[in-house]
Amino acid sequence: MSEYAIIGKRMPRVDSRAKVMGKTKFTADLNLPNMLVGKIKRSPHAHARIIHNDTTKAKAPPGVMSVVTGKDTAGVKWGVFAYTRDQQFIQTDKARYIGDEVAGVAAIDEETALKALDLIEVEYEILPPVFDPMEAMTMETELIHTEFPNNINIHVNIDTGQVDENFAKAHYIREDTFVAPEESYFQAEPYAVVARFDSEDCLEIWCPNGGPHMKSKPLSNAFKIPLHRVKVRKIAIGGAFGGRSEICPADYICALLAKKTGRPVKIKFTREENTIATRQGHAMITTHRTGVDQEGRVLARETTCYMDGGAYSSTGPIATSVPFLSMEQAYRMGSVRYNGYRIYTNKPIRGMIRVHGRGFAAGLDTQLDMIAAHLNIDPVEMRLKNSRQQGEYTSTKSFVASCAMDETIHKAVAKSGFSEKFGNLPPFHGIGMGTNSVQTGFPMGIRGGSQAFIKFNEDGEATVMSGVVDNGQGNDNMVVQIAAEELGLLPEDIHLVSADTETTASDPGSYSQVSTFVGGQAVKIAAQNCRAKLFDVAAKVLKVEPSTLAAKNRLIFVKDTPEICIPIKKVVRISLLNFTSVNAEGGYWPRVDMKREWVSNPYGQMCEAFSFGTTIVEVKVNPATGQVTVLNATAAQDVGYALNPLVLEGQFEGSIAMGGQGGMLTEYHEWKEGRCLNPTMLDYKLPLACDMPPIHSIMVESIDPKGPYGAKEAAMSIAMSAAQAYAAAVSNAIGVYMDSFPLTPDKILAAIKAKENKEPE
Amino acid sequence: MDKIEISLTINETPYQMRVLPNDTLLEVLRNQLDLTGSKEGCDEGVCGSCTVHMDGKPVRACLTLALEARGRKIKTVEGLATGDALSDLQQSFIDHGAVQCGFCTPGMLMAGEALLSTTPGPDEQTIRRALSGNICRCTGYAKIVTAVAHAGNPQAPCPDCRTQTPYLQAKE
Repeated sequence: MSEYAIIGKRMPRVDSRAKVMGKTKFTADLNLPNMLVGKIKRSPHAHARIIHNDTTKAKAPPGVMSVVTGKDTAGVKWGVFAYTRDQQFIQTDKARYIGDEVAGVAAIDEETALKALDLIEVEYEILPPVFDPMEAMTMETELIHTEFPNNINIHVNIDTGQVDENFAKAHYIREDTFVAPEESYFQAEPYAVVARFDSEDCLEIWCPNGGPHMKSKPLSNAFKIPLHRVKVRKIAIGGAFGGRSEICPADYICALLAKKTGRPVKIKFTREENTIATRQGHAMITTHRTGVDQEGRVLARETTCYMDGGAYSSTGPIATSVPFLSMEQAYRMGSVRYNGYRIYTNKPIRGMIRVHGRGFAAGLDTQLDMIAAHLNIDPVEMRLKNSRQQGEYTSTKSFVASCAMDETIHKAVAKSGFSEKFGNLPPFHGIGMGTNSVQTGFPMGIRGGSQAFIKFNEDGEATVMSGVVDNGQGNDNMVVQIAAEELGLLPEDIHLVSADTETTASDPGSYSQVSTFVGGQAVKIAAQNCRAKLFDVAAKVLKVEPSTLAAKNRLIFVKDTPEICIPIKKVVRISLLNFTSVNAEGGYWPRVDMKREWVSNPYGQMCEAFSFGTTIVEVKVNPATGQVTVLNATAAQDVGYALNPLVLEGQFEGSIAMGGQGGMLTEYHEWKEGRCLNPTMLDYKLPLACDMPPIHSIMVESIDPKGPYGAKEAAMSIAMSAAQAYAAAVSNAIGVYMDSFPLTPDKILAAIKAKENKEPE
Repeated sequence: MDKIEISLTINETPYQMRVLPNDTLLEVLRNQLDLTGSKEGCDEGVCGSCTVHMDGKPVRACLTLALEARGRKIKTVEGLATGDALSDLQQSFIDHGAVQCGFCTPGMLMAGEALLSTTPGPDEQTIRRALSGNICRCTGYAKIVTAVAHAGNPQAPCPDCRTQTPYLQAKE
C-alpha cells in the first residue's frame, strides 16, 4: 500500500506538541472571567425517599450565588432510549444510590460552596436497599423503579432456533458459570464541566465527551432551547474508555447554575466522584452451556447473563447485548440462545467500558479450553474450528464483509511460540490465548452518519470541520492524516475544527469504535470532493484531463508526467479569481439495518465492519504468594488497514494494560452496604509501568471493502481478547480452570490449595 | 486564616504572592498563576500528574505546601522548552507516540527529566521503576519507556527516532 504519501506512515500525532508543552487545555484548566465554583450534594443513603429538601439556610451565607434542587429541573428525565428514561438530573422523589444527585450549589469559591452544601437540609425516609442483582429480582424490597417489575431493567432475548435440537445431537456438552465484579474507567482526567449562557442566551459548555452531538441533544431537550443554541465546545479529553458517552447530571446542573446566576460555572469532580457518579463497569454472572460435535465444532450454545446495572438504565440495552455480540461475531455457532438481564440495584450506575463483559468473554474461552482438553484437541485447533470467516453472517444476521480472524490466530501463535510451549512449560508457568471481535458502530438512526466540510484558504492551506471527537486515542490526527493525503497537502497545512456543535455537523461520536470508519470516511469523501474541484481548475491550466491528475506534497501534477505540475496554492487563487468555489463537503452513512433494535428486534446488519483479534500471554505464578508475573504478551488484530502504525501500537499496548493486566489481574470494586470501598487511585489497583510485560503488536490487514483505505477500528478486539488470554494463561499455569475474575492472588492461592487437597501426592 | 506573603521562583521567573498556609503548590500554580500544565488527577499523591521539580527533584505539587516552596527553584512542564525549542525528552515523547490523551504527560515528562538528569542512559528497568509513581491509563507505558530511553540518545533500529527516519518529507 505504498501509493499513499501520508496514510500508513508512522506519523507523530498533530496534538502532541501542545501536550508536551503543557499548553493543552482540559476542562478543569479553563478559567473564565467571573466564574463561580459549582458543587453537587449527593445522597448518603443507598435507597431513600426524599421527604423534604430545604435550601433556605444554604442560600444565606455571603458568596453563595445559587442553590438548585429537583424542584428547579421541571422533572426532566434522561435515558439513552425513549423506553429507558428513568434518571432525573436532580432527584425529586427518591435517591437510588450513595452518590445520587439531590442538589447543586454555585458560590464564589470552593470553601463557600462546600459550606453551602452542608447547610442544605434533606430529610430522608430510609428504604430497604438491595445490592445483589439475584436478590433484587425476588422483589422482596420496594422496587427501585416502580415501572420495572422484579427490578429487571432490560431483558435481551436472542434465539436462532434449533438450539434444543442441536444440543440433542451434541457429542459433548458443558455448562459452567463465570463471575466478575464491577470495574471502573479511571480516566486520567476526573470529570469536569464548565458552562455559561452567552450574550445571545446560547448555552456554551465544555466537558469531556464521547460525542459532542450526543451531549447537545439532551441539553436542548432539558432547557427547551433549539439545538443551534447549545454550543458544546471542543476541549482536550483525558480518556474516555466508554465512560464519557452520555450526558452527565453535572452537565445539566452546571448549566442550570450558570443560567440562574448569569455567570460561568465550573464543576470539577473529585477522583471519588468520578468513580461513583459517572459510570462503572457491570458486575456479571454468566452461564455458558455449550454443545460440540466430535471434532469440537460448536453445534449449540445457550448463554444466560445477569448484569448488575446499578440505579439507572444508562446504556442498558446496548450493555446487555454487546458481550454476547462480540462472541457471536468471533465464533461461529450452529445455533444459539441468549438471555441477558440487566437488573437494577442500589449501587452506582453502570455503563459501557472498554473491557465490558470481561467475565463473559473469559468464561466462554475458558470453557472452550475445557472442551478442547476433554476432546484432546489443541486450543489453537479448537479456535480455528470455530472462528469466524469472511463472507459469513453472524447468528444475529450481520454480514461479515472482511475477516482475517484466522490470520490473527496463526500470526500470534507463530510469534509467541504457543504451539511449542503449550503443555510443555514447567509447573506454575503457563500460556493462554483469547480471541474476540468488536463492532464498528451500531444502528443509531439519524445520528449514525458523519459529515465534514473543507475550506481552502488563499494561501493554499485548508481548514477541516468534522464532528469527530478525540478522547485521547488520536482521532484528531486520523482526520488530519486523511485530509492531507486526499488533498495532497502536508499535515501541518491542515487546521482542524472538530467536536464543536456550533461549527460541525452531526457525528455518531467516538464510543462505538466508529470514528475512523464513519467520521474518517466522511472526511475522505469531503477531501476528494474538494480535490475534484481543484483538479477541474488545474486541468484547464495544464491543458489535460482532470482524470490524469494527482496531488501530493502541495502540488497537482500529471500522474504519468509529474514534471507537468502546478502548486495547489496557485490553483486555489486561480479558482477564486474565476468565481469558483474551492470548498466542499462530504458525508458517510453506514448501511446498517435501521429496523434492528436492541430489545425488540436484535437481528439484522449491526454495522458494516467488525475487527477481530487474538492475544496470547505467557505467565509465571508464584505458588507461595499467588502473584502473577506476565512474561510477554502478543497481540494480533485484523484492523482492516493500519492508517498509522505508531498510533495503533499505542492502542494495542494500552489495550493489553487495561484489558489484561488490569482487567484480569487487579481491577475490581469492593463494597459495604452499597458504599464503594475503593473509589480512589490509592485503593483501586491500576497497572503501573513496572507491572507491564513486553508487548508484541501484530497488525493484520484484511482491507475492508467499505472502510477508509480498508481501515476498521484500532485495538478494541485486543482489549477484549487480552482479558481472555490472561485468564487462560493463569489457568494453564496452575492447572485449574478459573471461573471467578479478576485473578487476584487470594483466588489463585485458594485454587492451588483446593487442587492439592483434591489430588494428594 | 491569614495570607502570608512569599517569594517563589517558577521556571526562572520570580514571583511575589500571598498564599494561605494550607494552599498547595498545585493550587497556587493552577489557580493564581494559570500554569495549568500540572494536572490534578487524584489530589492524594498517587497519580503523579502534578509532578514538578523543586530544586531539581521531582515532587508532587498536590502534596507540597506553597510555603514549602519558599525560596526554592520550581520547574513545571511549561518550563521544559526553551522558547520554541523542545527538550530532548519532549521531542522524544512526540516522535515515539508516547502521548495519547496527554493528561499524565506533564507528570511523566517531569519524572522522566528528573531521572535523566541524575542517571544518564538508564536501562529499561530503571526507567520503569522511575515512572512507577505516574499512572497512565492510555498507553500501557511501552512508548513512554522507549521515549525516555531514546531521548537525546537515538537508536539505530528504532523507526521513530527522529534522526534516523524523518516521518515525512521536510518542508521546502
